[in-house]
Amino acid sequence: MAVERFLQPRASSWMANDGENVDIAMSTRIRLARNLTDFKFPFSFTEDEALKVDKEISSVLLDKGNELDYTFSHISIEELAQLQKEVLVEKHLISPYLANSQHSSSVLLSDNEELSIMVNEEDHLRIQSLQSGFHLQDAYKIANELDTLLEKNLSYAFHEKYGYLTSCPTNVGTGMRASVMLHLPALTMSHQIQRIIPAISRLGMVVRGIYGEGSEALGNVYQISNQLTLGKSEYEILQDLENMTEQIIQQERRAREAIVLNSPLVLEDRLYRSLGILTHSRLLTTEEAATCLSDVRLGIDLKMIQDVDMSILNELMIFMQPAFLQQYADKPLQPKERDFARAKLFRERLNKEGINSEGEDLA
Amino acid sequence: MICDQCGERSASVIVKQQQQGQITELHLCHICAAENHSINIAFEQDPLAIHQLLSNWFPTSQASINPVKKEIVTCPSCGFTFPKFLQLGKFGCASCYDEFAPQLNEIFKRFHNGNTEHTGKIPASYGTTLKIKKEIEELRKQMQVSIHGEHFEEAARLRDEVRVLSSKLEGGASSGS
Repeated sequence: MAVERFLQPRASSWMANDGENVDIAMSTRIRLARNLTDFKFPFSFTEDEALKVDKEISSVLLDKGNELDYTFSHISIEELAQLQKEVLVEKHLISPYLANSQHSSSVLLSDNEELSIMVNEEDHLRIQSLQSGFHLQDAYKIANELDTLLEKNLSYAFHEKYGYLTSCPTNVGTGMRASVMLHLPALTMSHQIQRIIPAISRLGMVVRGIYGEGSEALGNVYQISNQLTLGKSEYEILQDLENMTEQIIQQERRAREAIVLNSPLVLEDRLYRSLGILTHSRLLTTEEAATCLSDVRLGIDLKMIQDVDMSILNELMIFMQPAFLQQYADKPLQPKERDFARAKLFRERLNKEGINSEGEDLA
Repeated sequence: MICDQCGERSASVIVKQQQQGQITELHLCHICAAENHSINIAFEQDPLAIHQLLSNWFPTSQASINPVKKEIVTCPSCGFTFPKFLQLGKFGCASCYDEFAPQLNEIFKRFHNGNTEHTGKIPASYGTTLKIKKEIEELRKQMQVSIHGEHFEEAARLRDEVRVLSSKLEGGASSGS
C-alpha cells in the first residue's frame, strides 16, 4: 500500500537540522487554501461531488506533478486504519480535521514529504509546504509553483474583490497561512513570552503553543503565524511574519544570554538532569519527555551539552507521540505501556549515538 | 487521594480516558488537571472558534436580514442561509460570497484588520481580464474628472480608450470560453 513508506519512523527532510537560525526556528510551513469553481464547498457538497473533486485534483497531480519533478503518492483517507491516520497527523502530513473526515478525501504526498496536498479538508484543496529551519520564502516558492501548475489545469474559485474563496472567512483572500515553529525556552523561563504573545496578536499575527489549546506550550515550542489573509499580498504577509520572527529570535537570544550570565551552574545542572532522565528513565510521559527534550536542545544550543545530535532530538519529538510509539511497537499500547515504550525509544536512540548509558562520560 | 501526576497535592479531579476499549483513570489535583493537555499535536487548529466570534458580533438576527429585501438571505446554489453561515462560521459555496455580500464587509473588516479587498496573487486565467477591468475603472474615473472640468476633448479620448478596452474584454471572454 502506498501509505506504508510514509508511516516509517524515519525522518522527513523537513525534520533535518539545517538552515539559518535553526537553533530557535525549527521548521517553517506554508499552507494555501483553494476551492474549485464547479463544486459546492465541503460543508455543503454531496458525496458524489466529493468523489469528483478528489478524482479531478488527484489526476492532475499524478499526471502533471512530474513537470515540477515531483512524484506524488495518492492516499485515500477512508482506506487507512485509525492508527495510520494518527501517525500521519503526528508527522504533520495531514491535519486532524482531515483524519476525521466524513466524506471522500485524500492526501497526496511528495516523496520527500515536503509537500502534502490535502483534498476535501475544509476546502477542496490545501497545499502544504514544509521546510526545516526558518525558510518562509523557500517554502512559499515551492507551494506557489505547485499552485500555479494546478491553476493551469483546474478552475479555481476566485473573486475579483475577495480573492481566493475559502470555506472559512478567516482564510479568504490569499488563502495563505504561513507559520514558523519556534523553540523559546528562555523567553518562557523568564515569563517574557506572556508579554510578547498579546503584543503580536495586535499586529495581525498569532503565537501559540503547538500542543493542544492550553495556554502553556509543552516543550516550549510555539508557533507564530499570520492571522490576516485579506488586504495584504503574499509578499507583504511573508515580510511581516519574517520581521516579527526575527525579532522574537533576537529576544530569545538575549534572554538566553541573560540566564547563562546570571546562573550558569543552576542552568547546566538542570539541562544535564534532563539529559539524564532521557537517557536513563524507564517510564517517560509525553509531558516529561517534552520538557527534557527542550532542556537538552537548549543545552546543545548553548554548547553546554556536546555529544548529542540535534537532528535526533527533532525526530524524537515526532516519534515519541502515541501513534508513532504504537506503530514502532507494532501493537496497541495502553498509556502506561506507552510511557515504558517511550523511555525505551529515548534510551535506544540517544545511547546509540555515543552517550554511554552508564553515564561515565557525563562525569 | 494524592494526585497521580505531581504526587504532592490531593486529587480533586478524575480524568477518564477511553482508548481502544480500555478505560484509564487519572486522579489529579486542580493544578495538574488544568495542565493536562490532550496530547495531540495540532499544527494548525483554529485558534478561536469562528462561529463563536460571529455570534458575538451579530447577536441578533437583524444582521441576517437583507436590508433591501427585508428577508432572510438564502444562497440559491447551496441552500445556506445567512444565519446558518453565522452559526457554522463557514461558507457553503462560492456563490455565498455574492449572496451575502452586503453583510460581508463588516465581517471581513473584523477578521482582517479592516481590510475587505484582496491585493495578492491572481490566477493567470483571471489575470488579463481583471487587469483590463481595473484599467477601465481608472479611465472612467479620469473621464468624470475631465467632464467636470469641461475638458471634453480629453473626455472623448478617454471614452474611446474605454471602448477599445471593453471590446478587448468581450473578445477575450468569448475566445477564452
